[in-house]
Amino acid sequence: MEIFKLKVYRYDPTKDSEPYYRTYELPVEKGMTVLAALFKAKEEQDPTISFRYNCRAAICGSCAMRINGHATLACKVQITHLLEKYDTDTITVDPIGNVKPLKDLIYDMDWLVDKLKRVKPWFIPKEPPPADGTEYRQDPYDHHRIDFASDCILCASCMSDCNALKANKDFLGPMVHSKAYRFIADTRDGEKQERFEAILEDLNLEWCVRCVECTTRCPKEVQPYENIIRLRIMAAEAGYKTPGEIHAEIFEQDIYNRGLLNEMLLPMRQEGILGAIKRAPFGIKMMLKGKVNYADFFGGHKIKRLEEVQKIYEVAKQKEKEVKIKLPQIMGVIYEDKRKTRKRPNYAETGGNE
Amino acid sequence: MAELKYAFYTGCSAKGVAPELYNSTKLVADKLGMELIELEAATCCGAGAVQEKDEFLALTINARNLALAEELGLDLLTICNTCTLMLRETKFKLDNDPELKEAVNEVLKEAGLEYKGTSEVTHFLWEVIDGVGLDRLKEMVVRPLKEFNIAPFYGCHIIRPPYLIGYEDPDNPKSIEMIIEAVGGNPVDHTARLACCGFHSFWSAEDKVTLRLTAMDAESAKEEKADFMVTPCPLCHTQLDAMQEEAEERIGVKLGIPVLHLPQMIGLAIGFKPKELGLEKHVISTEEIIRKVA
Repeated sequence: MEIFKLKVYRYDPTKDSEPYYRTYELPVEKGMTVLAALFKAKEEQDPTISFRYNCRAAICGSCAMRINGHATLACKVQITHLLEKYDTDTITVDPIGNVKPLKDLIYDMDWLVDKLKRVKPWFIPKEPPPADGTEYRQDPYDHHRIDFASDCILCASCMSDCNALKANKDFLGPMVHSKAYRFIADTRDGEKQERFEAILEDLNLEWCVRCVECTTRCPKEVQPYENIIRLRIMAAEAGYKTPGEIHAEIFEQDIYNRGLLNEMLLPMRQEGILGAIKRAPFGIKMMLKGKVNYADFFGGHKIKRLEEVQKIYEVAKQKEKEVKIKLPQIMGVIYEDKRKTRKRPNYAETGGNE
Repeated sequence: MAELKYAFYTGCSAKGVAPELYNSTKLVADKLGMELIELEAATCCGAGAVQEKDEFLALTINARNLALAEELGLDLLTICNTCTLMLRETKFKLDNDPELKEAVNEVLKEAGLEYKGTSEVTHFLWEVIDGVGLDRLKEMVVRPLKEFNIAPFYGCHIIRPPYLIGYEDPDNPKSIEMIIEAVGGNPVDHTARLACCGFHSFWSAEDKVTLRLTAMDAESAKEEKADFMVTPCPLCHTQLDAMQEEAEERIGVKLGIPVLHLPQMIGLAIGFKPKELGLEKHVISTEEIIRKVA
């Protein structure tokens, strides 16, 4: 019988001065999930292991934990797949990251709830329901825009592996921003400004580093990263002039005027003359290393066929209002290219979705 | 052997702050038998910035970039993670939404262009493995990097999100390690191997997020006693190399870990001189590496 090791993070602050790992040896059973393995270890070897769970079917969001370093639902991933994926005999289970562990795999949820409250994660209608007694109505495309975001089960897998949150615990995090998107993008909602102010306080929305861990971890196709990008578009449309918005304008102008970004003049245009002075020592350092393209100070070179780009701008800007871009369906999708000759280094056939 | 010919999409960094990446890519690709036809009419990919303001314009501009590769009948090869993601995202959206593709083509038509969807978007890293092949690369190694402990730094957009990238498992990628081993080096596992350099929130959260991540990344490689880090992305490189001293200031610890572009590392092993590969253009000194390979 094949055996694997389940290495579990253990910590009881009432007894332990430090967290530690305890390893349980279990038989490999086809179809066994990590959650089932935890039950087996608890029932047969150690009744003191503590973890949260409920539905066992990837619906309730209770059993998120870090499995071999990446957050997911313990009820959604199978032992046999993980052993193959990591080419190992050991499955390591930690509490989700970026939170305060309370006991073993159980973490403090209050901190997450407090963050959520700041964006008022509930529907606040902008007008009373129709007088004829029917429900609030919505255009199917408008509903489509919030469809995926509505599927969030608050498991916090995205919060666990978020790089911006790792750097700074004041970041609201992908779960919270994504929840804000779900209501700001809802055509029936009436509290947009208040929510915008909450997510843009101290530019919080723009702390996101676009590492895309959140969308990669999400077990429910909520697309938190994409929702953050959609929120930034909506914030710009609502007239918020943030550094991100200024940055986007510079890129748009440079593509129109020359094709490529003018990196040399970027700091000046991004932050003004004071910014340029602040960045001067860095600029000098780059010059001394031969990393500066001096021609860019005088506009630099233009790409070939730039007139095509300028024509595209003209036409696209007129047309964009009538184009309804659909949100991507991403569950289980791996966008590989069509060339059949490729050998992949190591990709489990499920691509991580089971 | 199949012909290795690509439409070469340089991106802005290689033409701006990372000239050493542009030069080393051309030298190394040529020696490895990859023919790069530079797309001199290509624009910036929008880098996620234009995408945050004007989604349709960003898609159309990148559809043009893809159409330029299609004109040549070649796959498009990038040397930047974010360019890779932006172009693959465009392709994914257009290939999966016929109405959007039609709308984009109506715009492109005015400029005399058409997006068909016939060229794939690939990255230099992947083509060294799938095009050149690791066996062939090993045969070409004249100066194995055996005394070097090398910390891979993937950078986000070469692995995530898997629905757009999909080259390898984002939880446990191996491509850079495979190349490090092929050139005779010792890949070093470290906690920031798959982490973010912080680049994309620089202008909004330089102190609050960006430099903190940069410091953690460099510390992570340092802790595992890496001689240098290697990355396939010029944005990660700018952040980890050019901004490393700023990150050090924030944490009050001197790290000084050199960061090489992927083609520079390969170049050292297949016989190019450090100077040819532009190693002296780095902010964090590469002298120790230059001394050892001499």
